[in-house]
Amino acid sequence: MRYLLQRLGFYLIAGWAALTLNFFLPRLMPGDPATALFARFRGRLAPEAMAALRETFGLTEAPLLQQYFTYLSHVLRGDLGISVAYFPTPVSEVIATGMLWTVFLAGTAVVVSFAIGTLLGIVAAWRRGGWIDSWLPSTLVFLGAFPYFWLAMVALYLLGFTLGWFPLGHAYGDDLTPAFTLEFMADVFRHAALPVGTVVIATLGGWLLSMRNSMITVLGSDFVNLARAKGLAPARVVLRYAARNALLPSITGFGMALGFVLGGSLLTEIVFSYPGQGYLLVQAVRNQDYPLMQGIFLVITLAVLGSNWLVDVIYMWLDPRTRGGRS
Amino acid sequence: MPSTSRATILLLGLALWSVPTGCARPRPTATEGVLVVSQEMQSSWVRNFNPLTTATAARWPTLAGIYEPLFVFNSVRTEYVPWLGVSYEWRDARRVLRIVTRDSVRWSDGTPFTSKDVVFTFELLKRHRALDRRGVWAFLSRIDAVDARTVDLTFSRVFVPGFDEIAAQPIVPEHAWRDVVDPVAYANEHPVATGPFTEVRVFRNQIYELGRNPDYWQKGRPYIDALRFPAYPSNDRANMALVFDELDWAGNFIPSVDRVYVARQPDAHRYWFPLTGSSIFLYANTSRPPFDDVRVRKALSMAIDRELLVEVALYRYSRPADATALSDGYAAWRDSVIAASGDWVRYDPAAAEQLLDEAGLRRDAQGVRCLPDGTPLSYDILCVSGWSDWVRAAQVIARGLSAVGVTSNVRTNDFSAWFQRVQEGQFDLSLGWSFEGPTPYLFYRWLMSSATVKPVGEATMGNWHRYGSATADSVLDAFEREADPAEQRRLADEMQRTFVREAPAIPLYPNPSWAEYSLARFTGFPSAEDPYADPSPNKFDRGECLLVLTTVRPR
Repeated sequence: MRYLLQRLGFYLIAGWAALTLNFFLPRLMPGDPATALFARFRGRLAPEAMAALRETFGLTEAPLLQQYFTYLSHVLRGDLGISVAYFPTPVSEVIATGMLWTVFLAGTAVVVSFAIGTLLGIVAAWRRGGWIDSWLPSTLVFLGAFPYFWLAMVALYLLGFTLGWFPLGHAYGDDLTPAFTLEFMADVFRHAALPVGTVVIATLGGWLLSMRNSMITVLGSDFVNLARAKGLAPARVVLRYAARNALLPSITGFGMALGFVLGGSLLTEIVFSYPGQGYLLVQAVRNQDYPLMQGIFLVITLAVLGSNWLVDVIYMWLDPRTRGGRS
Repeated sequence: MPSTSRATILLLGLALWSVPTGCARPRPTATEGVLVVSQEMQSSWVRNFNPLTTATAARWPTLAGIYEPLFVFNSVRTEYVPWLGVSYEWRDARRVLRIVTRDSVRWSDGTPFTSKDVVFTFELLKRHRALDRRGVWAFLSRIDAVDARTVDLTFSRVFVPGFDEIAAQPIVPEHAWRDVVDPVAYANEHPVATGPFTEVRVFRNQIYELGRNPDYWQKGRPYIDALRFPAYPSNDRANMALVFDELDWAGNFIPSVDRVYVARQPDAHRYWFPLTGSSIFLYANTSRPPFDDVRVRKALSMAIDRELLVEVALYRYSRPADATALSDGYAAWRDSVIAASGDWVRYDPAAAEQLLDEAGLRRDAQGVRCLPDGTPLSYDILCVSGWSDWVRAAQVIARGLSAVGVTSNVRTNDFSAWFQRVQEGQFDLSLGWSFEGPTPYLFYRWLMSSATVKPVGEATMGNWHRYGSATADSVLDAFEREADPAEQRRLADEMQRTFVREAPAIPLYPNPSWAEYSLARFTGFPSAEDPYADPSPNKFDRGECLLVLTTVRPR
């Protein structure tokens, strides 16, 4: 328990550091939201609009430090401010439109990829030299080495555009109303197939390889040999003895991947027009929308810290050594 | 272990079997009479129909489709079309603008539209400076309703071009907006409006649909039942939807449109890119020598191969600019004789070399031209990273300038960094846009009026090259006070003559207005054969897309 509390304290400090960076980094960019709007219009916006825009966005000339403390106090009250790019919608509302879809899309992709990759890794290590071991890792690593953007475009072009098996984008059919009906759910899954599929293909190799390698190390250790010598069933040796221990490094990676779910699905969402949060971040940066940027970064930070904490908990459960509070 | 391999084979089989049954892409549900449009690039929609706040906050076509302006400006025919206002006249030595509003117009909730609504709208702008996007209260002093159909706008000074800004203002209903506490941050989710499309039928994060106004004041119009807007996050995605006929109308840039879009369905897919966009310039910072010398500016201009430039940068969608720099949006104002007299936009490296020699910029031993004090001429041409048309144009320019002994390199900056540098005048050469307006007044004002020149280091919205011309000042000043069309033409000619003579900036090409549409389900879009208006959905700022929205009809 003390271990978990210690970690919690560490996360609080990390959270504060991230909040501070969230505030200062966007403000180091030249320009402001009002000028960014002119980029989109290239001369179609009258020069007079500038004064009105500055007035609208309430750009203050207050000292940065003062703005920083106002920001901190607002965040603590859960007030993320008003988005500039989606004026006058509050940031929390803007983020809410995309977050669930991103969590669903990228979360599914990470979980599926981790589960399949790890299982294949176990199989590959157990049947070392078999065809899974000799073909799958290299093929998957090869696929994963392509830039994700390209892979996704090719998948969209071949499977969506040319063959017409999958929809070209969006999270569900445009003519459907979101509801907890079987039809709607099926449609959501059909729309998610291609984005999730491409992410899984691109990341599978990493999971497989890391699990396979740590399995091989563990399989060579004495306690596994002992288990074998005692004549335990092979499945029990692999799963209860070897895999459980070999899983630890992968769990760390899994926690990281889970944390990056909210920020990392940007490319997927752009290629497949998925109404998620990744695209919001692009919009926020393009429009120098400080409040929205801060809001999204905050959510990402919390997700990373939260999932790391989750990993700590899982570690405690998987690895008895962490439980004793060893120093 | 044989059982494992059997399981693997089973799984693989399952996977292979499930792929083809992922069922074929459903063709878009083409509901009859519903026009599918893409104008904004977003991944999900945020509900906002406020026509008064920032141009991008409200969903299209809030400014010209849900709400309407007093007069619509047709940039293809260069004329005003009476809309909520039926006529206007200048009174009291052009100090008062009297506008007569249309009778028989009703707001979508049934309340009659009157002159009171116009007065209310403008007073709202006065109370909330943030809403005054066109800066009308810089020249207005008061507004009064004379009777239920007549409005008097009193000017604080004689300023005839002010009409353009008043005409374009979308009008909101007093009865629905009177009690809005903060109209700046008001999302106006249920618009009460006068336009052809006022009923929000569907609003979800991926799609929204606007139904026709059943009591629209143009009886029988609009002919289409509803507008539908799928959210596409990128140009590429919207173009794909166009190619697949999921979209009926869009305003995107498409590379090689004939091959990519038209060839896909030659009997239905159409585009028309009239050159009514803003003109693109190469700005030379005239606060720095040698660009203060008109001969140098003209020489640089003659060193640029514009034919090559429009081919490389713009797939030949545009034409080389003439010496008046006016786009086709000013076709009615442009004087072809004056334009032809400006020979400095023709590609002529020999003449350019001669002019540079005359200006005293001799070549040194390495062949690089130098200032009289010996500083070699070596410049960065600034452009915005990611704006590939500009970058390619800058490369053509750099090659041309270097050939006549002025070493130039293309330097791309992030938009904000670029914008800051040009605004503050911290550059030598840069690409840039120009401003659009119904008359050449605004365009030339921001190119050569002394009133727009700011000292280097101070940010300015236009005239980044910092050029002021005494001749232009007096002509622009006279134009501000002139309401007679014939006299206005004469003054506009004078502006063109001044520009051709002084070459304040180096025009490159007029930007096209992008528009693609499919005739598979709808007809009546503007085209080169029937150029009744600008075809682009992007032309909403002065109400022009209302002309298209009220003309397009189902087949």
